[in-house]
Amino acid sequence: MNKKLHALLLLSVFVVATCGLIYELIAGTLASYLLGDSVTQFSTIIGAYLFSMGIGSWISKYFDKNIISWFIQLELLVGLVGGTSSTILFLVFESAASFRIILYSLVGLTGILVGLEIPLLMRILKDRYEFKDLVSNIFTFDYIGALLASIIFPLLLIPYLGLVKTSYMVGMLNVAVALIVCFNFRKEIKAVAYLQTSGIICILLLLAGFVYANAITNFSESLTYNETIIYSKSTPYQRIILTKKGKVLRLFLNGNLQFSSDDEYRYHEALVHPGLQALPNAQNVLVMGGGDGLAVREILKYPNIKSVTLVDLDKGMTGLFKSNPALLALNKNSLLSPKVKVVNADAFSWLRADKQKFDFMVIDFPDPSNYSVGKLYTNSFYKLAKGALAPGGIMVVQSTSPYVAPKSFWTVDTTLRSVGLRTIPYHNNVPSFGEWGYIMATENPSYKKPDHFVPELRFITKESLDLMFYFPKDMAKVKTDVNKLNNQVLVKYFEDEWSTVL
Amino acid sequence: MSGRRFYNGGFVKGIGRRSFLLKAGLVTGGIFLSGCLRKIKPNTTYKNISGSIKGPNAKAGHILRDKLPLPAPATTRKVKTLIVGGGISGLSAAWHLQKQGYNDFELLELENHTGGNAHYGSNSTSAYPLGAHYVTIANNEDTPLINFYRECGIITGFENGLPVYNEYYLCFDPEERLLINGQWQEGLVPDFGLPAADKAQVKKFFVLIEELKKAKGNDGKHAFDIPLDNSSADEKYRSLDKISFAEYLKQQGFHSAYLLWYLNYCCKDDYGQQIQKVSAWAGLHYFASRRGKAANAEPNAVLTWPEGNGWLTKQLAASVAPRIIKNNICYSLSHQSDGKLAVQVYDIAKGTSATIIADNVIMATPQFVNKKILKDVNRGVNYDAMHYSPWFIANITVKGLPQSKGAGLCWDNVAYNTPSVGYVNAGQQAISMTNGKRVLTWYLPLCDHEPRVARLAAYTRTYEQWLDMMMPELEFMHPGISDFIEHVECWIWGHGMISPAVNYIWGADRQAAKQPINNNLFFAHTDLSGISIFEEAFHQGLRAAEQVLAYNGKHANA
Repeated sequence: MNKKLHALLLLSVFVVATCGLIYELIAGTLASYLLGDSVTQFSTIIGAYLFSMGIGSWISKYFDKNIISWFIQLELLVGLVGGTSSTILFLVFESAASFRIILYSLVGLTGILVGLEIPLLMRILKDRYEFKDLVSNIFTFDYIGALLASIIFPLLLIPYLGLVKTSYMVGMLNVAVALIVCFNFRKEIKAVAYLQTSGIICILLLLAGFVYANAITNFSESLTYNETIIYSKSTPYQRIILTKKGKVLRLFLNGNLQFSSDDEYRYHEALVHPGLQALPNAQNVLVMGGGDGLAVREILKYPNIKSVTLVDLDKGMTGLFKSNPALLALNKNSLLSPKVKVVNADAFSWLRADKQKFDFMVIDFPDPSNYSVGKLYTNSFYKLAKGALAPGGIMVVQSTSPYVAPKSFWTVDTTLRSVGLRTIPYHNNVPSFGEWGYIMATENPSYKKPDHFVPELRFITKESLDLMFYFPKDMAKVKTDVNKLNNQVLVKYFEDEWSTVL
Repeated sequence: MSGRRFYNGGFVKGIGRRSFLLKAGLVTGGIFLSGCLRKIKPNTTYKNISGSIKGPNAKAGHILRDKLPLPAPATTRKVKTLIVGGGISGLSAAWHLQKQGYNDFELLELENHTGGNAHYGSNSTSAYPLGAHYVTIANNEDTPLINFYRECGIITGFENGLPVYNEYYLCFDPEERLLINGQWQEGLVPDFGLPAADKAQVKKFFVLIEELKKAKGNDGKHAFDIPLDNSSADEKYRSLDKISFAEYLKQQGFHSAYLLWYLNYCCKDDYGQQIQKVSAWAGLHYFASRRGKAANAEPNAVLTWPEGNGWLTKQLAASVAPRIIKNNICYSLSHQSDGKLAVQVYDIAKGTSATIIADNVIMATPQFVNKKILKDVNRGVNYDAMHYSPWFIANITVKGLPQSKGAGLCWDNVAYNTPSVGYVNAGQQAISMTNGKRVLTWYLPLCDHEPRVARLAAYTRTYEQWLDMMMPELEFMHPGISDFIEHVECWIWGHGMISPAVNYIWGADRQAAKQPINNNLFFAHTDLSGISIFEEAFHQGLRAAEQVLAYNGKHANA
């Protein structure tokens, strides 16, 4: 046996070992990115992977003839499966329900294939070495490969290539081993041309994947959700992520928590009932924002309500809450009610063109964390809202936390007052948000506190309402400017106040 | 300093002509060569960017310049007053005549739209300016302007004697940012990373400006006012017109590179020229003449619209629309024996000519055009003393902007020490949420060479060559922006605006050019002010309209 071949085979062992460990690391990393909880993900992935390798080793005894040819085909298969695995996982993640099954299937398949490699390689080499040299050489290079993999994976591959490109690159290395073996043993195997062609096709496919990796998925590799993501979608306006932990559903828009199903009732009851219960004759309601239909669910508890118009920018959002069974259970099919009309439009533009008047209005926009959303908290917007309010009507505005961001909260109050509205600020505790604030605004000279509430409420009572209207010293009113389109003071206050917390 | 020599008239003499030809040859030859090289080795970097170069109707302009043969007038019609030119001055004159109940007039415009350099365009993403794009709130004693603003809803009422401006037209926050020392800072006055000495100079300059804002001359008039003809005649201030702004700043001990960059930027932005080529009086006027106060905005707040001052054009044109005749160019004008004016007009769309007999005419056209139309009239005007800055404007449609450090996208976005004066976000006044798609209007004053050379060079450049000039700067402002750009619409103004050169505003030529001829041929244009801003154009139009009304014995009470 010549020296060149000797070195080449040991190099193959080394590459195969390195690749095998990298596949394992990729699967573990991906699972912890996408599913959260890295300890659980990593240990179950490693366990499943090693077990599958065991299965692979066991299967190896059923390969009797043409072992070199089998080994070459095996390497091609490892390259293809391993190389594309992270892309497949990223792509199927969007339809997340069956994600775990696909993840573990892929881990299992890769594990079995990698488990086959070393036994087959040992059998190829068994006649060329003494047994003790064979075992010594193979395992030495196997373990060195493992060391190399575990060092370059976090230090070089992930930072410079990212998960997807790393997979394709490692896949190409496997195919390269196949081609090298094919070339050197060309006299001992049949169908060399077929194997070589397959190898070249595989390497081209993987190369294409490597080049287009960024186009295939721009998926952020830094998601840090602790819970299982059951839905994720990028709409033209935002990224919607729905997570589940135990029985609790949580909705995130651009990474910000919108609600948690275990305590959202506290928020939505507080948003709707203090105002709507005080309007026994209300018929027409407008909800702006709130595409989750949860405020609408509360509104529909009043039999006197004839129509609810929901204006939400994002069709992706209202569509989700009209179709997903778990979310329909949560909003009690509110968006499918015949009383409800869903309009997917920009609230500012819609309100400016609106001619209809409403007895009750819920203004439930995301917090004013940027200038685009900040416009929806300006005196110009509230002037339009006031114009759409029927005589005697009430509007209520979600107004961020008066505890964390008192200046922001009271800016909303000052701004509402600046357009000639009387305000009734209040707050309650929503565990997943903390202390939260709302402001009712009306042209009425007085607001009459309701003395009873619709049945089936879990939070609001006459007594709890008294507490909500009282502002302790640490949330007391502060003097602020009016938020206008040409000063946007609210965005600046909000940034200052929340930056000290987050 | 070369600027002063140039503007002092050396250029008018024979040597000027030869050096012009040499310079022009070198510059355009260079551009042509690089264009050829580009063709040999095409650059595929811009394969995702579509667009073209446009500009004002050059064909119409060249009819005048090259004295192309035109058909003889086939028809004759009479009108009491003819306004030639539908820029802001002409439209303001028409608007004012109509306001005073004077309706016997026609307005001729050679383009298929009115508005002059306040022109605009639009695409599926946004309307966008192609020229002038904002005004500041009016000086409170400028009653005619305030009345106009009331009429078109810019001012919605008054509180405590101060105007309340329409909040949809006041520039939305955030307004301005500057990329300086590696970071986007809020506001355009350099601050981030400045040494204490430079900060002190900046402060000192604005202290001086505060004094000049309040300053009045010995005639009791403001030292600097809008319209500028209302400014004090006090020699103490007017003499500032006789030196360049750069020279003045040197004399006053301002040497901070940051401050000088900022003042140079301001001159480029408002006058299309550099600090060495603008008179000190004009340079200071930019800062010291604006004293507007509002009930609901900061002093000197900015008013803007997606289509820029195109919006103002539409308001002015709306009431006089039936009297506007577009695609018509006036190519000759002369006094008849009965004193009336015979105006020859060519209809570009129809290819026919007509004669209009008018009792009086307002030429709301720039003087470089009047020079051709009135070639037989001796106005005592040295036309060569008037310099017009060429401009390049690109409307860039982007599908988003890469993340950057510091302040986020503002209305006006400028980078320190770059050739352009930055870009404005055309959609700043949009109230709707965006999906990231925007139009950015990028302004480049072509002031590196004397205007004639720069103009010629501008017309020589190909679309790709303009992108070559633009992209490095945009990439400097926003690394990675190239991938976000979908479309770039280029617009070239050969004669973008008059530049207030040394000794122009208070020199003899401007005075001479303003004078009516035979008391029935009047003139209105910002080049008769020396600075090209909406307010000047508006007052130019009003002044000429008043002259017409006086002539017709129907003096208005305004």
